[in-house]
Amino acid sequence: MISYILTWIVTRFVWLLPLPLPPRLVKIGNPGRSSPVLVTCNWRLTVRELSYRLRREDLYLLVANSRGINVWCAAAGGHFTHHDVISIIKTSGIENLVDHRTLVLPQLAATGIDPVYIKKKIGWKAVWGPVSARDIPGFLAAGKEATDRMRRVEFGLGRRMSVALGWAAQLSIPASLVFVFVNREAILPLNVLIFGMSCALFMAFPLYERFLGRPSRGWGTIAFGFEQGGVQLVLWGLYTAGVVIPAGIIGGETVLFFFHWILAGLVVTLFLTFDLAGSTPVYKSVEHEERSFTVVLNVEICRGTGICTEVCPRGCFDLDRVRRKIVFARPDDCEQCAACIVQCPFDALSFISDRGERILPETTRTYKLNLMGKRQVRAS
Amino acid sequence: MSTYVLMKILESSPDRYDRGIRFLTLGQLDEAYDRLTSHIRPGDRVLDIGCGTGALTLRALARGGVVTAMDINPAMMDVAKKKVGAYRAEIGEAAGDMVFLEMGVAEMDDLETGGYNVVMSGLCFSELTDDETAYALGHVHRILKNRGMLLIGDEVPPGGIFRRFFYMLVRIPLAALTYLVTQTTTGAIKNLESRVASANLEIESVRRHGIGGFMELIARKRD
Ligand code: SF4
Ligand code: SF4
Repeated sequence: MISYILTWIVTRFVWLLPLPLPPRLVKIGNPGRSSPVLVTCNWRLTVRELSYRLRREDLYLLVANSRGINVWCAAAGGHFTHHDVISIIKTSGIENLVDHRTLVLPQLAATGIDPVYIKKKIGWKAVWGPVSARDIPGFLAAGKEATDRMRRVEFGLGRRMSVALGWAAQLSIPASLVFVFVNREAILPLNVLIFGMSCALFMAFPLYERFLGRPSRGWGTIAFGFEQGGVQLVLWGLYTAGVVIPAGIIGGETVLFFFHWILAGLVVTLFLTFDLAGSTPVYKSVEHEERSFTVVLNVEICRGTGICTEVCPRGCFDLDRVRRKIVFARPDDCEQCAACIVQCPFDALSFISDRGERILPETTRTYKLNLMGKRQVRAS
Repeated sequence: MSTYVLMKILESSPDRYDRGIRFLTLGQLDEAYDRLTSHIRPGDRVLDIGCGTGALTLRALARGGVVTAMDINPAMMDVAKKKVGAYRAEIGEAAGDMVFLEMGVAEMDDLETGGYNVVMSGLCFSELTDDETAYALGHVHRILKNRGMLLIGDEVPPGGIFRRFFYMLVRIPLAALTYLVTQTTTGAIKNLESRVASANLEIESVRRHGIGGFMELIARKRD
């Protein structure tokens, strides 16, 4: 618990950098020859969190080499693939410790790991575990079955707090360093501004969430990104009217005071909201030129395996059990993670660019052309 | 902002890789690779472990080797494939056969026992875990022909406290800078010689250079 909390604090400050632990086999509790085998990334925070959340279980945890990056980002960026999974299975000695050959993979790794390859190469069968570590005990208790809720990414209170403090710390460190030389007295209020603004922004997420997914209406300036619901203006306005002006009046401050702090508020607001949608795990970034890519389903080819429903973190698909076909029921919720495209065994799903070009699923698989990859470059 | 920044950070950067590595190794790398591959004779069957962008692969081809190049990163391998394609276009029929395999060292079981005259690897072992290194070296021993050679060019920690201190002094800012520019950096592999020896391979020569942070190692499988 303590090492989990400490790691959580540290990762707020080195949020955008990898923080690896050595890849290895971790025994949790008292595992036996039929205990579950779970795979995870080697980002320090994930391993610490799993050790804490699974403390009452008996299982083997394989910490694979994801270059110290979290599961989703590593898998989407091509840093956590089936090769890394095979490597930890082959070199950790797990094959001598258990009698079964079933592996639980984190669902969010579905954008980068090909379970068919693993099965073919070394004979291990993979099942997709839940999105969140919190749900693993429930998933195991239910005989490795995940409920629909376990399959969704959420941006709940805890997660929003993590993101808020993460971004705040990224801004706070360089800003504080600069102000050591410029104006030391401003460091404390500046940090209050940064952390306060960041927390307010992400805590208020449910209020403006419905504006985030919308396409641009084109009447905002670039700086203010009105397509994101004008949340920047609201935030900046509230801060100016609610904090700077009262503080200035009460303190009898100069015009310069107002100017400085209103400007500082603007800079902080712009930094935090630069790609607000992309800062959440539930909306695709709107800062990519490739944002107009869409997932399309070729219903003719689909055989209703339901694999796409299992890996989609946004619950975009419904399975029509009678017709044995999938229905792409909620395309607007799609965040282009490409998990469904990568996992469909019949290549029924693919990306289509705004110019109508289809990107072969194989290309998406090989080059990880998902929300983080270089999709535009590979469109052909 | 997160996905935007992360995309920039994570975007595998094979195009920048070559430049980054050359910078990081202060240009010693090309000479070292030339020296190592000078042991390859025409017709030799060569395995390149972790071929990356093909620095060793291309040299082995040029020496008339029949090369199998393996790597887990398809984007890196694409750069290598392009280079090989350009080389072939230039030299025509004379270029030897070669294949690229997308696989990691843990998948070496598939490779033919006693099928290779030479196994070579540049800056790959330092990226492996201890278990992976042991696993890979075991298979190197298996797939080499008798008297077959293992050629390694990789980063090692320098010997001696003073050297080590000096090395860190140069290395840390260099690595930080390279990481920022290319998101590429390399680690150093400890005890390379003893690891190779414990895989039953006989060390023929070891050459350290610069301030000792880079090692060229040549080993041979006993009869
Ligand atoms: S994974 Fe492919 S075949 Fe299976 S239900 Fe989804 S679209 Fe259809
Ligand atoms: S439908 Fe969209 S969100 Fe769901 S798995 Fe496919 S790409 Fe990801």
